Amino acid sequence: MAKTIVKIENLVKRYKELIALDHFSLEIKEGEVFGLLGPNGSGKTTAINCLLSLLTFDKGTIEVFGEEMAPDNYKVKGQIGVIMQNVAVFDELTVYENIDYFCGLYIKDKTLRKKYVQEAIEFVGLENFTKFYPKKLSGGLLRRLNIACGIAHKPKLIILDEPTVAVDPQSRNRILEGIQELNRQGATIIYTSHYMEEVEQICTRIAIIDKGKNLAIGTKDELKKLIRNTETITIEVLDIPEEAVTAINGLEHVYETSFEDGRLTIRCSGGRHNLIRVLGVLSDREIPFGRVYSEQPTLNDVFLEVTGKELRDTEGK
Amino acid sequence: MFRNLFKYEFLSDIRQKDVIFWMMCFPIILSTFFHLAFGNLYEKDEMFAEIPVAVVEEKSDEAFRTVMEQLSTGDSPLFTVQYTDREEAMELLEKKKISGIIYVGDELSMAVSGKGIIPTIIRSFLEQYTSQKEIIVEIAMNAPDKLPAVIDALSAEIDCIETKELSSGNMDEYAAYFQNLIAMVALFGTTSGIFAATSNQGNLSAIGARKCVSPVHKLKAIIVKLAASICVQSLCTFISISYILFILRIDMGDKIPMIYLSGILGSVLGVSLGFFIGSATSASESAKMGMTMGISMTSCFLSGLMVGNMKAVIEEKCPVINVFNPASIISDLFYCLSIYDDYTRYIERAVLLLIMSAVFAAGGFLMTRRKKYASI
Repeated sequence: MAKTIVKIENLVKRYKELIALDHFSLEIKEGEVFGLLGPNGSGKTTAINCLLSLLTFDKGTIEVFGEEMAPDNYKVKGQIGVIMQNVAVFDELTVYENIDYFCGLYIKDKTLRKKYVQEAIEFVGLENFTKFYPKKLSGGLLRRLNIACGIAHKPKLIILDEPTVAVDPQSRNRILEGIQELNRQGATIIYTSHYMEEVEQICTRIAIIDKGKNLAIGTKDELKKLIRNTETITIEVLDIPEEAVTAINGLEHVYETSFEDGRLTIRCSGGRHNLIRVLGVLSDREIPFGRVYSEQPTLNDVFLEVTGKELRDTEGK
Repeated sequence: MFRNLFKYEFLSDIRQKDVIFWMMCFPIILSTFFHLAFGNLYEKDEMFAEIPVAVVEEKSDEAFRTVMEQLSTGDSPLFTVQYTDREEAMELLEKKKISGIIYVGDELSMAVSGKGIIPTIIRSFLEQYTSQKEIIVEIAMNAPDKLPAVIDALSAEIDCIETKELSSGNMDEYAAYFQNLIAMVALFGTTSGIFAATSNQGNLSAIGARKCVSPVHKLKAIIVKLAASICVQSLCTFISISYILFILRIDMGDKIPMIYLSGILGSVLGVSLGFFIGSATSASESAKMGMTMGISMTSCFLSGLMVGNMKAVIEEKCPVINVFNPASIISDLFYCLSIYDDYTRYIERAVLLLIMSAVFAAGGFLMTRRKKYASI
């Protein structure tokens, strides 16, 4: 059985009247890529800062690598790599110097550090930019530098707090692939994001967090099983009589049908061949239709059902 | 580890262009302007060779008139003399066309504006003349040919009184401007001190947060940063002093190594003061910058950077300010080197400076050492 790397129990953090974390608990096992998914202000970064002993908290316990996390627990801190939401590099140091500086906070041996720095540069693909100052880098390259500074010392636990904000798609893919590679190399990852596609793509387990509460936790499939929806069918139609909508809604496994802006949306719960049966209803009534989509439930559907609101509505990507 | 961190902290400090401008280029530019603007006005020869005075004769005194004529002629006259009435003399004094008024009555008296070496010379001359008047009058009556020699002796004694207070250095106001300027450069170290504080506070900077989550002890991180900041600041002060001494050729005495040492001590005080301010408040970095600039410039103003005799005014009205004003302490170090041959007073001021620096640094650390923050 995998070791527990992080254990948070009943964490409560208040900012005056605002409860940022409300009895928040989670347990992360060795080798996981654990995603914290939630909109801005949901408490993700607060949870991370408490975990890192940057923030005080009102109640609860935090254990990392089996030890109580404290500001002076340097042994534990030495095994953690952090990539902050805000880029934390020196503008006056070059790419190489920045990575060497931050790696130097963890690694004393000069030869080993040099090797690690070189590997970190190659890992994030900044070989051609080692002498560049951060201000000369694009947003994506800057984020990669930020990541290199956080992982150069080869930590066992890597915490990435929204590392892809304002990053171009190419760099985003590179970053996500890099995180998976780090995981393959043995690091346990905690990844916070409000981009559900990213979380869905790389995380082995996910916690959905909103208003400081851990609403649901599990693998993607486990989370999707938590909700009623198993398939969403969308059909483009110019118009549809009310009777046809009622007929579709009466089909087995269909629990919700709606028509809006030329799009007929049918939500199904379980069952097979739902699409064929829905199209049969339309054909029987000679209702012309255009494109047809059948989608498996996404984390957004899970989020919608768990929180009552869409993640997409609050966070444009 | 220390060496690696120090190297990069030093590099990151010295590559900050705006900071380097204010700490290195600005003082060089300002000192050049000082030199161009005041250089001729404060030429030493002009300052001491000819002191413009008005003589108001309320009673005739031939011997005094003879002496004044002797002292206002020749190769290096001490005075330039105008004989006027009381009102005109006051008007000239108010317009600063003369440095003092000598009233010739039953007794000699004088009126001057301000303080400094010139009033001292006039007063010394009058005291010398009064005490030796009888001899001068007797020689004028019995052996007038020997009168110039007697007056030369009198003049020489005044010179002695004048130079006895000096040493090998230069205590004129002109040099004092540059001493205060160096004090200002050293106090610009407050800016570096602010960076040292914020870059180690997890709630004030992303880099601070990253340092806080690393396994480096906070005290060690702060010491490295302060050491780097002090080195950069000292380097800037060193360059400014070198420019003033060797390019502008300002006479600040012959204790050159001690002048550099004083610059370094001033830098230590500046950086530690900035670190204290940076640690004491949770305001934004720009607000802290504004605060330190305000404190530095006020400190420099009170030490006489903008108004030459301000330090003397403070000394008269509220001397305690001069004792603890950072800029005054730093400029005092240079003053001590210029004025005193022994180092007693210099050491006193240097020790006070180091104590203040230690208190600021320790206070700053005590406030920064809290390792968790209520909010970020």
